[in-house]
Amino acid sequence: MMREAVFAHPVTVGIVAATVAVVLVAGAVIGAMTLAGRGTPELRRELWLRTGSWCLLLPLMMGPVLLGREWVIGAVTLLGLACLREFDRATGLFREPLVAGLVVLGILAANFAALDHWYGFFVALWPLTVGVIVIGTIPRDRPQGYVQRVALGIFAYMLFGAGLAHLSFMANEPGYRPILLMLLTTVALSDVAAFTFGKLIGGPKLLPTTSPNKSIAGAVGSLCVTTLLVATLSFFIFRDTPMAQPHWLLVFGVIVGIGAQAGDLMLSSIKRDIGIKDMGTILPGHGGVLDRFNSLLLVAPAAFHFIQFFVGFGMGQPVRLITGG
Amino acid sequence: MEFKLRPARDHGLETADRLRSLSRERGLGSLVLGRAWRAALRGYLAAFHRLEVTGRENLPEPPFVLIANHTSHLDALTLSGVLRGEAARRAHALAAGDTFFGSTLSSAFAAYAVNALPVWRKRTKAGELATLRERLVEDRLVYILFPEGTRARDGRMAAFQPGIGVLVAGTEVPVVPAFLDGCHAAWPPERRYPAPRKLRLAIGAPLRFADVPATRAGWEDAARRCESAVRALMPHAS
Repeated sequence: MMREAVFAHPVTVGIVAATVAVVLVAGAVIGAMTLAGRGTPELRRELWLRTGSWCLLLPLMMGPVLLGREWVIGAVTLLGLACLREFDRATGLFREPLVAGLVVLGILAANFAALDHWYGFFVALWPLTVGVIVIGTIPRDRPQGYVQRVALGIFAYMLFGAGLAHLSFMANEPGYRPILLMLLTTVALSDVAAFTFGKLIGGPKLLPTTSPNKSIAGAVGSLCVTTLLVATLSFFIFRDTPMAQPHWLLVFGVIVGIGAQAGDLMLSSIKRDIGIKDMGTILPGHGGVLDRFNSLLLVAPAAFHFIQFFVGFGMGQPVRLITGG
Repeated sequence: MEFKLRPARDHGLETADRLRSLSRERGLGSLVLGRAWRAALRGYLAAFHRLEVTGRENLPEPPFVLIANHTSHLDALTLSGVLRGEAARRAHALAAGDTFFGSTLSSAFAAYAVNALPVWRKRTKAGELATLRERLVEDRLVYILFPEGTRARDGRMAAFQPGIGVLVAGTEVPVVPAFLDGCHAAWPPERRYPAPRKLRLAIGAPLRFADVPATRAGWEDAARRCESAVRALMPHAS
């Protein structure tokens, strides 16, 4: 498989440099706020916590992308398993260890298909894994709770296996680095932009029962920023491809922008339904892994198939590296 | 059992607190590790101690409380090793907090491999016993516990504490008495490692305390009945 130098694409250099700069500026701004006594202590504390967590998260997210294809697939696998753990403990699916185990196998299989660069298997795993989850607990002869456990298992596999593994499969494209870095950073930025616009403008709430802190101003502002940023970066990444037309680039931007916010609202709905505030405690200021990566869950497959339609991933690269054939 | 869309009882706890929490519910990782640990344990008990178990048919479906005399660290390992299937997956050994839950590392081992729950000697709060009792019934658990409260340093069985009564008085949960023979000789408190001595485990018929009142007198009565049931399983008693 062809490999490109880490910083071969100017967008890779730009995103990494901009990310470092943003974290430094954020630190400086919050530092200045603290010195000048601006904002409430609670707001400053929350800002510090979030920035501190980002300093830990960004290297963990961007490191594997820069290191190489196998690192990306490994990191996405671990991310999927970590998300599943939080999801099953929050929903009670962990009390059905057989279903949870089948979802684990599904996540491993989807990422294996990406590692193998076997698109046919990758696509086939969606219905096949669902079939296995559907069949899995029938031999136990315990129909009570069947619909709930199977539905939760399929939900979890769709999000953390089939969905997230699209990020793994993207790594089969030799020039995957700018694409993945763009998705990771713009999706994260969408969250920060919604928070910032919401605080600056305020106004009516978006969906107060689902997520009391989100405002319409935050959602619209964030969608505009994300759309423009994704469209601009995609212009440089997909130059000389059929995708490099202004309307398609803007559509792509809107897909990423809406997907990111929809993922966030999806997790809010799950949490409200169960009656919990955070999915976990592992990231101070954010909550659990899912609280941080929710925006990526729906963006990964949507962005993949949009790019696939115009450009494709790993075209001309050797396939079925492990299974042969 | 119906499916309940309900988070784990320990949801929202930091990792270190979760390991020591009486609300800890096991997930897939704990089940897989616990299973591997039990397989290794059974191999060890069979090969090194030629463990002989009688009365296995007395073990009911969960929930139940398995009690025995306590002379060595082998006791809890042996009792957790003989359980099978659903009972093994639901079994928690109630272990001394200060011995097994001191550091985070030892807590992680006690929690993930042995699936132990900490009981803090001399400062067990009424609320903790209430939590244990509630989980025993609602989550249909299996508790492995030693009502003497501590290892008998000379190997001779001491009087049972009333705590066992607090857990089961007025409930339908059966208590299964067992007697472990040979553990003291194999691994007395003063030895660092166990010696390859034979172990015998006798499991008796379950006792029930549904009609025992949840009062001091009721708890003490339950403890006395448990104690005599365990004593009746002593080899020389038969």
